[in-house]
Amino acid sequence: MPTKQRARSARPDENVAAAIPACVSGWLVPGLGHFMLGKRGRALIFFGVVMSMFLLGLSMEGALVALDRSDLLQLLGGLAELGVGLPYFVVDLLGRGDGNVTAVTYEYGYTFLIVAGLLNMLIVLDVFDIAVGRKD
Amino acid sequence: MVSHFLVLSLFAFLVSIAFALLMRDTSKEQIRFAIFSFVCFVGTAFVIGWLMYPFP
Repeated sequence: MPTKQRARSARPDENVAAAIPACVSGWLVPGLGHFMLGKRGRALIFFGVVMSMFLLGLSMEGALVALDRSDLLQLLGGLAELGVGLPYFVVDLLGRGDGNVTAVTYEYGYTFLIVAGLLNMLIVLDVFDIAVGRKD
Repeated sequence: MVSHFLVLSLFAFLVSIAFALLMRDTSKEQIRFAIFSFVCFVGTAFVIGWLMYPFP
């Protein structure tokens, strides 16, 4: 039975439960969720796009901001950047995400980092839709 | 020297690819949508740039 038909015939809660590992993997490593669902071409492109944006953001001296609950804008920026998954934690652990606020490209870099995270969140939602059978 | 246009184009290129893959199903539709999205990003930047031109 094709995957889509099988997914639709299963109970919705079973579909959601089956989607969670793919979604978590897709969050941790951009594209891995699609890879697990057999969408290898798309997985490769998503990985390339998100990682390119993330690395370009770092090379433009953008900063990985801390999750500071006292400053709403900073908190939202941090949450958006966190969307990129493992690369965020790796760069943070290596101490490479401090950025340089005086650099002319700082705002560009920060924007690239935020959008990389937000794009990966959209990609995870796409993984969810594919896993529960709403999309091919 | 930083090329603002190059940075803008890179941003538009990468985001357009992701949007096309997320929002369209067939390869042909994806390519058309990616080009459309890229042109919209860059075109909008030019239009807003010209609108802001009179301001100091």
